[in-house]
Amino acid sequence: MPEVEYATTARLPVQTIWEFVEEMDNWARFVVGYQSHDKQSDTDSTWVLKGDVGMLARTVKFAVHIDEWDGPSRVSFSLEGLNEPMKGSGTFLLEPFEDTSLAPAAAPPRKGVFARALEAIARFFYRLRHGSPQRAASANAGPAAGTSRLTFRLRIEPGGPMAPMISALVKPLLQPAAEDLANQILATLERRHGIQ
Amino acid sequence: MAARPAKWDLEVDLVCVGSGLGGTSAAIVATDLGLRCALLEKAPKLGGLSAFGGGEVFVPANRHMTKLGLVDSKEDGRRYVEFLAMGYGSGAHRDKWLATMHEAVEYYEDKAGVRWKACQGLPDYYYPDAPGSKGSGRYLSVELFDGKSLGEWQQKTFLTPIMPMGALHEEMYEWGGLAKITSWNFELLGQRIMDDQRTFGPGMMGFFVKAAVVDRKIPAFVETPVRELVALNGRVVGVRAEKKDGSSFFVGASRGVLLAVGGYDHNKDMACMFEDMHDWHGVFPAYLDGDHMVMGPEIGAAIASVPPTNLALFWGYQIPGEESEGRPLYRSSWECGCPHAIWVNQRGERFCDESFYKDYQPRARYWDGKKQEQPNLQPYLIFDGNYRERYPLGSFMPGQPLPEGMVVQADTPRELAAKLGLDPDTFVRTLERFNQYAEKGEDPDFGKGSLPWAVRLVGDLSYPNPNVGPLSKPPYHGVKLVPVSVGINSHGLKWNTDAQVLHVRGEPIPGLYAVGNSAALLDLGGGYQSGTSNCRAITWGYVAGRHAAGRPV
Repeated sequence: MPEVEYATTARLPVQTIWEFVEEMDNWARFVVGYQSHDKQSDTDSTWVLKGDVGMLARTVKFAVHIDEWDGPSRVSFSLEGLNEPMKGSGTFLLEPFEDTSLAPAAAPPRKGVFARALEAIARFFYRLRHGSPQRAASANAGPAAGTSRLTFRLRIEPGGPMAPMISALVKPLLQPAAEDLANQILATLERRHGIQ
Repeated sequence: MAARPAKWDLEVDLVCVGSGLGGTSAAIVATDLGLRCALLEKAPKLGGLSAFGGGEVFVPANRHMTKLGLVDSKEDGRRYVEFLAMGYGSGAHRDKWLATMHEAVEYYEDKAGVRWKACQGLPDYYYPDAPGSKGSGRYLSVELFDGKSLGEWQQKTFLTPIMPMGALHEEMYEWGGLAKITSWNFELLGQRIMDDQRTFGPGMMGFFVKAAVVDRKIPAFVETPVRELVALNGRVVGVRAEKKDGSSFFVGASRGVLLAVGGYDHNKDMACMFEDMHDWHGVFPAYLDGDHMVMGPEIGAAIASVPPTNLALFWGYQIPGEESEGRPLYRSSWECGCPHAIWVNQRGERFCDESFYKDYQPRARYWDGKKQEQPNLQPYLIFDGNYRERYPLGSFMPGQPLPEGMVVQADTPRELAAKLGLDPDTFVRTLERFNQYAEKGEDPDFGKGSLPWAVRLVGDLSYPNPNVGPLSKPPYHGVKLVPVSVGINSHGLKWNTDAQVLHVRGEPIPGLYAVGNSAALLDLGGGYQSGTSNCRAITWGYVAGRHAAGRPV
């Protein structure tokens, strides 16, 4: 099943990012294909997204449940398709960043040449469709006072007889979607806090 | 018509307008014969309408049948094509088409690397009753095409949202056809998608696009619509296209311009004028604007037609929220080929064999002169709980919630009729009569299930009559259908047997060719058969390319 992890850093304190992330209205529009969302409670919401796999786009409704709300470091959620046989889960992790390395927190798993090419192509078309988050070159940087690392994990599990095919279609799109969500959140905060 | 520019932006010998099968076929053979060619495409990707369909090429007595030991003859092929034509169209066009199709199809296999194979087990539409019909092997389709071999064009060549990605024709039949889609090998299809192994129309066009723009390096320009022809002293010498920024792009063509832009599905005025369709929705992306029907007549080209019983009309629907290429995606409805489903008209009555579109097309246009109404336009798809447990609706599998706003549901037939605005008494009578015979696998009214083609493609082979089953289990469902089109129209440019467009006064317009669905179906006449459209495009593209190169067939 498609599963991605993306980690990035920002010159912002954990608490600042947390205060932004804990209110979903702040970042909902950054979710790929976002159409609308409806918050039923602090832990439950319904989302409408437009899933676009290139030659076909379809409106998908998800029920999202917050499984763990452990501020200011961790949010875990699960999701279930309301009109598509699909389940999934995800995690936002926030932690102070002390390392001088610019490398992401988690090394990406090794992939074949074609998988990397496919992902690069998917990323290119994803950016064409959805635009690219504009972050200052220095923002994703090494240690400074109040520097944080944001890690986003997402797993999607299509169901039904067509699941293997849906997985194949969705897989190359997840990585750029995860990257963009994280980067859009941080780009917004960096602008707000005057980080160039 | 544009004036000749002081300087061309690009000068070639043959400009092919449209990058589907007709355009690429002509460009490939013309290049092989020494011409400099260019492909101009309005859409953002190559492949045209040809990439959206099933990719079948209907060739009677093809050499791949012989390899499989299937018996056929060109004479039988002729008898069958004449049966389809019903005397309409032009005998001269049919003769040349039949005489040239093998040479053309084999040329692209031998010289351009297109890997054809015969589809086993899929009969001709009218098999076994039609003269010369055959039960297997006349449809050619391509072997798996590796999308990666397109290089920079890999992501700029169309895929299709309406055919099962990654599946081969024979696999689809081995797995039980469309009715058994839930038991298909989706693990295999997923692997092929990941590896960009293309089949159906995308596979076929992958081979032709590769042969044209990768192997022969024919320059291709996407998002470059041709707006006007440029003529000098009655001869077409180039085109005025438009760049993305709106500026003109003049391309000179010393040997001619070939129009292969498909039909006019998305031009509402033309749909009304030529097809009498006021509410017509194209299944394919919105690039079929009838450009040929503007640019040709603008310099005096004649228009020709065949009876509107060709493939101009399907019934279909739009699943709310489904889009392709940024616009709502319409699907043609195949559901009624499965058991436990029927169509009813506005009166609540059946009116056709719903499993065979060639039967319902002419009946759909039935005009009640006494009541001045067309009751069969905009019918309803009706299915029951048995259907929902077994078969898909579009891409919605059994058990999956049906899309909101599309399907009306009720516990009884009478309640469903009321919700759909149909006369409940008539509707209940219709269902009772259908069920009475369906229990025995019969349909004495319209013969549903009598054609092996419909049985093979959409039937459930586990039923005594694979296309028939009673509607007896609640809940009952109704879907309003709308006319949808698939790019093949009843009108097109008039042409001669060298694929040259004819002037309204009868003579060929020098330097102007039309092939594929831009050319009126003079060869096919009054009938249609899957794969003939692709065969026409290849054959006449080959003929036009050779003629432009001074080597006419």
